[in-house]
Amino acid sequence: MREAGDLLRVENLVTRFKSVERGKWVTAVDDVSIRLAPGEMVGLVGESGCGKSTLGRSIVGLERPQSGRILLDGVDLSSLRGRELREKRRAIQYVFQDPYASLNDRQTIGETLTEALIIIGVKDREAQRRRIHTLLDQVGLPDALAERYPRELSGGQRQRVAIARSLAVEPRVLICDEPVSALDLSIRAQVMNLFLTLHKDLGVACLFIAHDLALVRQATSRTYVMYLGKIVEDASSAELYARPSHPYTQALLGSIPSADPRVEAHREPPPIFGDIPSPTNPPSGCRFRTRCPRAMEVCASHPPARLALAPDHHASCVIAAELYAHSHPAPHRLPMPA
Amino acid sequence: MTSTNILQVSHLCVDLYTTRAALRPVDDVSYEVAAGETLAIVGESGSGKTVLNFAPLGLMPTGVVTDLSGSILFDGQQLVGLSEPALRRIRGGKIGTIFQDPMSALNPALRIGRQIAEVAELHLGMTSSQAEARALDLLKLVRMSDPEARLRQYPHELSGGLRQRAMIAIAIAAEPKLLIADEPTTALDVTVQAQIIGLLKDLQRRLNTAIVLITHDMGVVASIAARVAVMYAGRLAEYGSVEEVLLTPRHPYTSGLIAALPSVDDAPGSPFRGLPGTPPVLGAPLPGCAFAPRCPQVIDICARRYPPLAGGAGTAAVACHVVNARQSKEQAHA
Repeated sequence: MREAGDLLRVENLVTRFKSVERGKWVTAVDDVSIRLAPGEMVGLVGESGCGKSTLGRSIVGLERPQSGRILLDGVDLSSLRGRELREKRRAIQYVFQDPYASLNDRQTIGETLTEALIIIGVKDREAQRRRIHTLLDQVGLPDALAERYPRELSGGQRQRVAIARSLAVEPRVLICDEPVSALDLSIRAQVMNLFLTLHKDLGVACLFIAHDLALVRQATSRTYVMYLGKIVEDASSAELYARPSHPYTQALLGSIPSADPRVEAHREPPPIFGDIPSPTNPPSGCRFRTRCPRAMEVCASHPPARLALAPDHHASCVIAAELYAHSHPAPHRLPMPA
Repeated sequence: MTSTNILQVSHLCVDLYTTRAALRPVDDVSYEVAAGETLAIVGESGSGKTVLNFAPLGLMPTGVVTDLSGSILFDGQQLVGLSEPALRRIRGGKIGTIFQDPMSALNPALRIGRQIAEVAELHLGMTSSQAEARALDLLKLVRMSDPEARLRQYPHELSGGLRQRAMIAIAIAAEPKLLIADEPTTALDVTVQAQIIGLLKDLQRRLNTAIVLITHDMGVVASIAARVAVMYAGRLAEYGSVEEVLLTPRHPYTSGLIAALPSVDDAPGSPFRGLPGTPPVLGAPLPGCAFAPRCPQVIDICARRYPPLAGGAGTAAVACHVVNARQSKEQAHA
């Protein structure tokens, strides 16, 4: 545990939205705590609607949390205002899922990047040009692209531009929200490798939000699993995939079809029922109990405590210790799901 | 085998003319599907896999002129050149379709029950009360919880997985002989995806429906398909049984795609394997192999002449000069 040296700490964060139903609230992020060490690659996985994007957006200030703290270098961001807040928060940048929507159609790539440079005070034209050259080079794009418009670029190129733009302000944390899921299979590996290179060369820490478990396993050192606003399990990525100890993590891993038809011919899908329930009215006690094959009476009455199974492995389930003891490595290789 | 083929596509070309451009998204594609069998068509966006399936059914955006050539024999009937009224009788009737995004494919202003009953009235000539009863049966068949209540709900009241089940109910309402499913699980979460695939397999067993599944997910292919056609830039790159194509891929594109799947043997932090370059942009048909610029085994002829799809017994057919030359050499030796 490097608690003292954490770059980013999120403590007991709650973000909620007004529901369409009058007087009701949707608690998208409910009492979530996560941490990121300097230069660490951390994964955050879960199904759509589990609140993983809201958590990411709350960290960068795109949503206003209801309660809880976000600490950068030990400084609570909510204690800051105005210029101080903007300057501090600049260290955290966001890479959006859809590179078709996140870039301005009417700006050339050069103009997009220049805007970011002006914000950090690079006003000299020559300095801007040099920096744009370096940025494009870092994300593996030719210089000539600075004159082009986003519509002239492929999906992979656009996502590289979006990454270059977030790098322009020299961040220490990148929050990447499904950065490759809008890209074609053969392009994904290229962009994923770019993240690995940036991480190695620039020492940028990444919170990698994704639903693609195979991708997260390979890219990150630790992974958080989120379900209906709560973190249900966290562990080092290798351990999480080898010894999943929450029924939800097990179901998630067991649902990924293998690319090997011989494995698929004999595989029973995991006994998980239905869809994720509405966050407007989450189940009492454990939120996963309505879909859980192992649900018991106690699950309905009390939210499960977060149990430490190993020094760096926690799961919020009453039978986590039993599942941990009986867990075994995943039975098949993980293919890249859609 | 030919007699049991419900769908036989031969040398199909699709040309699209818009006000700005002429494109050929599908070029000389042939394949067949037997009754009760699943064929997966795999390809990246822009490879032509959707146009291949929907252009012959007249499901193209307005303002696009579609020109088909070649032959599509479906259940003994030629679909190429069929008039719109005749096509309309087939669409939703003998051929059911499932689209990627159920939210935009369902009518937001109609109750689920009505949308299913509509198909039964139109194609099976049922009265409205018969059709409503059939809608209820269908919702039970697609294993929807609380089917009576669902009949009266609107699409926005359902979750993604339930919407996709409603869409499947509509697609099978007229007992189609062929189901075309375009990325039916891509918009769904992985736990829901497993349920929907299980449902499709179960329905296929019960109704003996042939399925053409359009996807880019090799895991989905392995879990449901018997045969696979891999498309690249509007042409078939590889075509064979699911074991042949996924376990012993022969075309450099297919083997690159399969090698790119992350495996548990890859150490955390290790680089991802992928293909270099980018897929070609759709345009006029190319004289050579469209994969040549990205191919690790490229030779001179690849850029000049298009490799025909060829293969021997027991292996997948591939469109690659290098692979096929190697094979004919091996056969000559043997």
